[in-house]
Amino acid sequence: MTCMISSINPSIKMVAVLIPGILLGLTYDVFTPLLYLMFILVVTFTMTDIPITRWLKLFSPFLILASGFAWTTMLYANQTFSGGETLFSFWIFEVTAGSVQTGISVGLRSLCFGALSLMFILTTDSTKLMLSFMQQCKLSPKITYGILAGYRFLPIFQHELQIIRQAHRIRGVTREQGIKGRVNQFRRYAIPLLANGIRKAERVAIAMESKGFTGDPDRTHYRKMVARKRDWLFFVLMIGVLMTVFALSYHLGYLKIFGRQF
Amino acid sequence: MTNQWKLKEIVLMSILGVVFGVIYLAFFLVGEGLRNVLAPFGLAPFGYEVIYGVWFIVSIMAAYILRKPGVAFTAELIAGVVEVLLGSAAGPGLLLSAAIQGAGAELVFALTGWKDYRLRILVLSGMSAAVVSFAWHLYSAGMIALAPWLIVSTLAVRIISAALISGVLGKWLSDQLAKTGVLRGYALGKELQRKRKYETA
Repeated sequence: MTCMISSINPSIKMVAVLIPGILLGLTYDVFTPLLYLMFILVVTFTMTDIPITRWLKLFSPFLILASGFAWTTMLYANQTFSGGETLFSFWIFEVTAGSVQTGISVGLRSLCFGALSLMFILTTDSTKLMLSFMQQCKLSPKITYGILAGYRFLPIFQHELQIIRQAHRIRGVTREQGIKGRVNQFRRYAIPLLANGIRKAERVAIAMESKGFTGDPDRTHYRKMVARKRDWLFFVLMIGVLMTVFALSYHLGYLKIFGRQF
Repeated sequence: MTNQWKLKEIVLMSILGVVFGVIYLAFFLVGEGLRNVLAPFGLAPFGYEVIYGVWFIVSIMAAYILRKPGVAFTAELIAGVVEVLLGSAAGPGLLLSAAIQGAGAELVFALTGWKDYRLRILVLSGMSAAVVSFAWHLYSAGMIALAPWLIVSTLAVRIISAALISGVLGKWLSDQLAKTGVLRGYALGKELQRKRKYETA
């Protein structure tokens, strides 16, 4: 049972995470996103083996971001979203019950996005994701392997940046001051880095083609990615609970879509 | 569409995606910093908007270098995929916003029939990406709940940022790259070579 989410087909997992993310954008009440956030947390901690401390560390930036969103929305909410009595006011801002509610809702919604994407990122292997895109979503092999080839260059870029820095130092190029100096410095790093990257892109493409890579979609696969019943079960779980939360919220009279109560 | 692209062009888009994927991630921190600096003045919502053009630069550069239909859209999407592969915490949602930004940039190139790559078209393309991505944010980030003056002014800042950073800076970076000669195998480099030949002849 532990870590069952990491064995879910990556493409299906991605859609199962994206759809709630899109649909939650409709809601402007506190109840709906809060309930779904609790569901995501339950799924995260029962069906994966991510250590809580690690998760908290990665989740804390989302807390800051979400409170920023909530605060902004609270202060600047427009008339449709800021009904109700004035709770407090300072400087030029007047904070009403309605705007507090909208603010908290927007904050909770972005926490939902954050929790969903963490659940996805921490349980998904990059290469498997690309292979699944190719085998389930019919992404062309040319693009799939093209992306993977480019992605593999990342560690080399770090190394190269170091080399450029050392090359500058050995030739006595010092850090420049002022805006013009900064621009110059940016150019001195960015252009060689990109130029080397492009050279490598060309070389790796020629190497792939010379070894017989044609990009033909009709090919065999060493690692087969499949969509099984349990992958679809996970999909149904994520979307089903979202629908249930919407229905429950509607039933209890909380549901608010674009500031309109239902 | 993908059959018209050579493998080296796709790897080039991916490499641009890797380089700018890292830059994009770094700019989230810059945006957050700007946000905190502006917050005491009550201008926190502008923090990200000032630098928003950075997020469209791959579209513009790839389209300007490769000059083929669908490149602006695909390049941005690939940058999004690379960001996800790098393990960006923003996750799958990035793919969606990348696709939307790319579509915005592609729109302008499509209107010119993928023939015109002058500076004004690149700037327009960046602005179009800004507008389309803004429409998406109105929905997804709940910005529609904000006061109208704030919505209009953040949109204006984003458009200006896109015009300058993705349009002007994107073209400048690509031109500088072409000068080094590494783009000889791609449309922009070939054009530069033709021009040089013409000048010397």
